Amino acid sequence: MAGRRVAVTGLGAICGPGSNVGEVWNSLRQGVSAIRKLTLVDTSKLRFQIGSEVQNYDSGAHFPGSEQDHLDRFAQFAVVAAREAVKDSGVTFTPKLLESTAVVTGTGSGGQSTQDAGFADLYAQGRGRLHPLIIPRTMANAGASQISMQFGNTGPTYTVSTACSSSNHAIGQAFQMVRRGDVEMAIAGGSEAPFGLGLLKAWEAMRVMAPDTCRPFCKARRGMVLGEGGAMLVLEPMDVARARGAKIYAEIMGFGSSSDAHHLTQPTMEGPARAMRLALKDGGLAPEQIGYINAHGTGTPGNDPTETKAIREVFGGVADRLSISSTKSMHGHALGAAGAIEAVATVMALKDGVLPPTANFTEADPECDLDYIPNEPRKLSVEYALSNSFAFGGLNAVLAFRVGQ
Amino acid sequence: MSDEIAEKVISTLAGVKRVAPETISPDSSLADLGIDSLDTFTLLFELEGKFNISIPDDEARNIRTVNDIVEGVRKLIANQNRPSIESAQAAE
Repeated sequence: MAGRRVAVTGLGAICGPGSNVGEVWNSLRQGVSAIRKLTLVDTSKLRFQIGSEVQNYDSGAHFPGSEQDHLDRFAQFAVVAAREAVKDSGVTFTPKLLESTAVVTGTGSGGQSTQDAGFADLYAQGRGRLHPLIIPRTMANAGASQISMQFGNTGPTYTVSTACSSSNHAIGQAFQMVRRGDVEMAIAGGSEAPFGLGLLKAWEAMRVMAPDTCRPFCKARRGMVLGEGGAMLVLEPMDVARARGAKIYAEIMGFGSSSDAHHLTQPTMEGPARAMRLALKDGGLAPEQIGYINAHGTGTPGNDPTETKAIREVFGGVADRLSISSTKSMHGHALGAAGAIEAVATVMALKDGVLPPTANFTEADPECDLDYIPNEPRKLSVEYALSNSFAFGGLNAVLAFRVGQ
Repeated sequence: MSDEIAEKVISTLAGVKRVAPETISPDSSLADLGIDSLDTFTLLFELEGKFNISIPDDEARNIRTVNDIVEGVRKLIANQNRPSIESAQAAE
């Protein structure tokens, strides 16, 4: 599609594998899983005890004084990742650029842990009053608002909430704004902090949580494992990025999205396939040009064979030449932050010529018969890659990236 | 007596703002202390709990200084105690 070319010039990430992009990528590129026993919640009432938590997180170090009390953990992760991404981009905000910078964030649950704890006071403790910051901490757009206040960005700022596809939709929307010339820059990504007992019990009731670990595409897979964190990308027009001598990690080539219009939790093959096709078409790419797919790969019985069939449907004869992995095996399923964390993984894989593996892989599944880069990272220079996100509710979002030139 | 309420207000304020109580004097204005509207909401919530009072929205809007809070709290406690004293006398 015509328009300005869109460069990725800054990255920020905080999640189980690390507290910044360097740490996160170092862990993912080695295939190290950051799924551990949960410490943030009392797991005695849960059927699963594992997740991927941000390690040694000190909110006071990032948000001094009472500021830390104004932001739920999910919004803190959004800001921490955005600060890193903006710093990494080396951009200097002028008043004009601030007006022309968009902030688009994704989150599935927003500050539900804050709400959960607050409502426990009301219903369980019988207290007559609720903490006054529950509303501003809980609202899903808190991350986007806090980021815009950090830097003073006054351009289009909003939040997309499409469950597990949230941040792919967010990055896709920001990409379209930059490509159309609506804005000169965008900070886009997502964040999630789902480790509150109420939310975990709700996930448990869905019967999709693995008790052991996350093994995407593996015959021994038993479900998903939740993760928390945030990741942000700085996007700007390629010509502007080049003119200011910015480092160009990657180019976003295309974005494709679709709805299954089928079922709240059961994915179809057609919806995801169409989103992948649309991303390719949007980027003017042929299937054989793609070398790597960062799969949605949740490790549930439902997703992995369906995603495999969808990839076969789109890529046909070249599907077997693809390198595919699910980094959720390492950072867990960070829901509304998943697409953004995986975008960082995909961009770094292109940049370094190292494809992160699918960790915890023990046994091939005849129903998942593609090359999932089991356990060992793969040194392979790839020019183009896709990153898939497919959400509950049947909402699919796929991004197409090209290695930075 | 007055100091006891003032001390409690200041310690609550310090807790909400996450600063040392020594940095706060009764004459300090909330603006000088960097207490914004979100901190004020939290402060009122904590004060209601500590003093077992209910602060009406109208009163809350007029707070500018630490002294305003101390005097407001004192008034609310006094109002609250009056009926209980009367009812205690009635019981005698």
